[in-house]
Amino acid sequence: MKELLVTDITLRDGNHAVAHQLTEHQLSVYAEAAEAAGMPIVEVGHGNGIGASSMQVGESLLSDADMLRVVRGKLKKSRMSIHVIPGFATINKDLRPAIEAGVDVIRVASHCTEADITERHITFAREQGKEVYGVLMMSHMASKEVLLEEARKMEQYGAEGVVLMDSAGAYLPKDVRDKISLLAEELNIPVGFHAHNNMGMAVANSLTAAESGAYIVDGASRGFGAGAGNAQLEALIAVLERYGYSTGIDLYGALDAGDVAQRELVEVVPSATSTSIVSGMAGVFSAFSKPVERISKEYGVDPRDVFFELGRRGIVAGQEDIILEVAQQLSEEAAKK
Amino acid sequence: MTDKLTASVRADCAAAADPGALQALAGRHILITGGTGFVGTWLTEMVAHLNDEHSLGMRLSLLGPHAADFHSRAPHLAGRKDIDLIERDVRDLDSLPTGVTHVIHAAGTPDNRMHASDPLRTMSVISAGTSAVLRASVDSPDLQKFLFVSSGLVYGPQPLDLPGISEKYVGGPECDSIASVYPEAKRYAEVECAAWRGQTKLPLVTARPFAFIGPYQGLDKPWAVNNFLRDALLGGPIRIMGCADTVRSYMYPSDMAFWLLRILADGVPGVAYNVGSPEAVTLKDLADRIAGAFDEPPAVACRGGANPRPSRFVPDVDRCRDTLGLRVTVPLGDAIVRTLEWHRAAGTARA
Repeated sequence: MKELLVTDITLRDGNHAVAHQLTEHQLSVYAEAAEAAGMPIVEVGHGNGIGASSMQVGESLLSDADMLRVVRGKLKKSRMSIHVIPGFATINKDLRPAIEAGVDVIRVASHCTEADITERHITFAREQGKEVYGVLMMSHMASKEVLLEEARKMEQYGAEGVVLMDSAGAYLPKDVRDKISLLAEELNIPVGFHAHNNMGMAVANSLTAAESGAYIVDGASRGFGAGAGNAQLEALIAVLERYGYSTGIDLYGALDAGDVAQRELVEVVPSATSTSIVSGMAGVFSAFSKPVERISKEYGVDPRDVFFELGRRGIVAGQEDIILEVAQQLSEEAAKK
Repeated sequence: MTDKLTASVRADCAAAADPGALQALAGRHILITGGTGFVGTWLTEMVAHLNDEHSLGMRLSLLGPHAADFHSRAPHLAGRKDIDLIERDVRDLDSLPTGVTHVIHAAGTPDNRMHASDPLRTMSVISAGTSAVLRASVDSPDLQKFLFVSSGLVYGPQPLDLPGISEKYVGGPECDSIASVYPEAKRYAEVECAAWRGQTKLPLVTARPFAFIGPYQGLDKPWAVNNFLRDALLGGPIRIMGCADTVRSYMYPSDMAFWLLRILADGVPGVAYNVGSPEAVTLKDLADRIAGAFDEPPAVACRGGANPRPSRFVPDVDRCRDTLGLRVTVPLGDAIVRTLEWHRAAGTARA
């Protein structure tokens, strides 16, 4: 039976879905459920990772320290993970305190063509003896050859695996197969896949990743994540079980965790709405959904047009201010007509 | 550096050195580029031992881009009267210090994180740096011998069925891969050395180092053995990334330092010499042996990719043994124990 490593990202990617407002109680009850289900890795934090709470990408209700303290207190066998984007997270201000707070796993992420910026963070985390993975975000924007080059850099820096993030939910199964199989063939370390469900493909794409050689797959209970959400974790585990994969996760426990998520965390169960479908087609970061809808309403423009224009411009996370510029431009063009 | 650490390195040098075999260097002035790095530091320790205990009267000039840092990293060496520090990028060298009779050109970091992040600089330091040192050496009236420290990586991938790779082996790295910037630059530099030797009769000899384990090698370096040592010192598990069947060999650096000086002293110009240990070990065995050096052995975990591909990097050192009388004095098991003792005493693993 082939083994897979599943990362439960509910308490990190899910924070995007509630504008980073997860409460102490919500973190606590879900972490307890994840521990009971035997989730190998539970990721927690601001949607954009530690150190990211800010006016530009959203201020979180709880500090990084509080989030880590609460979840750490509930996890015994499950390992606690953080998402780290150099630039948001600095080594001394964010990473060092997180390690002192008991983080086990550190996933250092960059835009898919900028792995160079992860060197110091990956090196530091390895020096501390932590389990470290590299993450290439918005990976639909680069060819498989470029992704391989960037992934190789992360491998050189000391990453123990490289995860391709489909941050925009833009992948179709053939894209997953092409990219994952090349990385799995060429790298000396495991490969992973992180799906978003903009076009309803998250579970299917995650399964395709596993079938193409991925060892790591991410999922969120009830799909609780940015935009249209992630691969629905409990469904993914069921599908993987049917396909003969071993995840070490208790199916009933995962189903229970899904119920806890829906009852305690999820305001609206993520679904492939018209804007999220368009954001997937346009290849725009899933977490842009809320600001795009809000700003489009403010300027009286169609959010779908905004998404397609953002996609045409190749906008990535951290460029949220461009949403305003695009909405304004579309509004002015409409007025001229 | 504590007195205990200094004494342990001195004891290592004493055990590895044969002063009688280095008489050609007595009273000479040696410039070492990359002089404050791992190789340079060990060469300096060895020379300090030979001067203090055997009165060889050598003088050293250590050139490096951050040479001033040497005062804090190795004050017992930096403050010596027989050592000068020159803080300069090797590419900017326009003349050798007055009186230099020998050059060991060892500049260029083997840290593959640097190669991945800044490949152009990596290639420039090796290629332009070698050009600069060679030009300056040819113009120096006192120069008697030049040792270029290349790399065992110039051979490219070693066939798995070849126990040890000899200096006669003809191979090469993939020249269209960013992972090849270091070995390919070293290959280019070797060819440039050959061209200068052919055209100017510069008495130039080449060393091709393989892999090492020992004091002064930072646990943050991205190589398997360093990671294993750090994982073990932090309590484990020791994590093997990649293929556990990959084969390596590791030389203790006091042997490395003596071998390099011996090659400088009596190596034949135009000839290359492998520097390393022929004692092959798989990564799994290496991890197990490191774990076994602890009273409570840490676990060993293998975390390879989907398509494990073993590789091999082991030298054939018959040329050094047969022509220069060199031998490995520290077997791998002892090297592991000594290295762990060093790091424990130095407190370099951050728990």
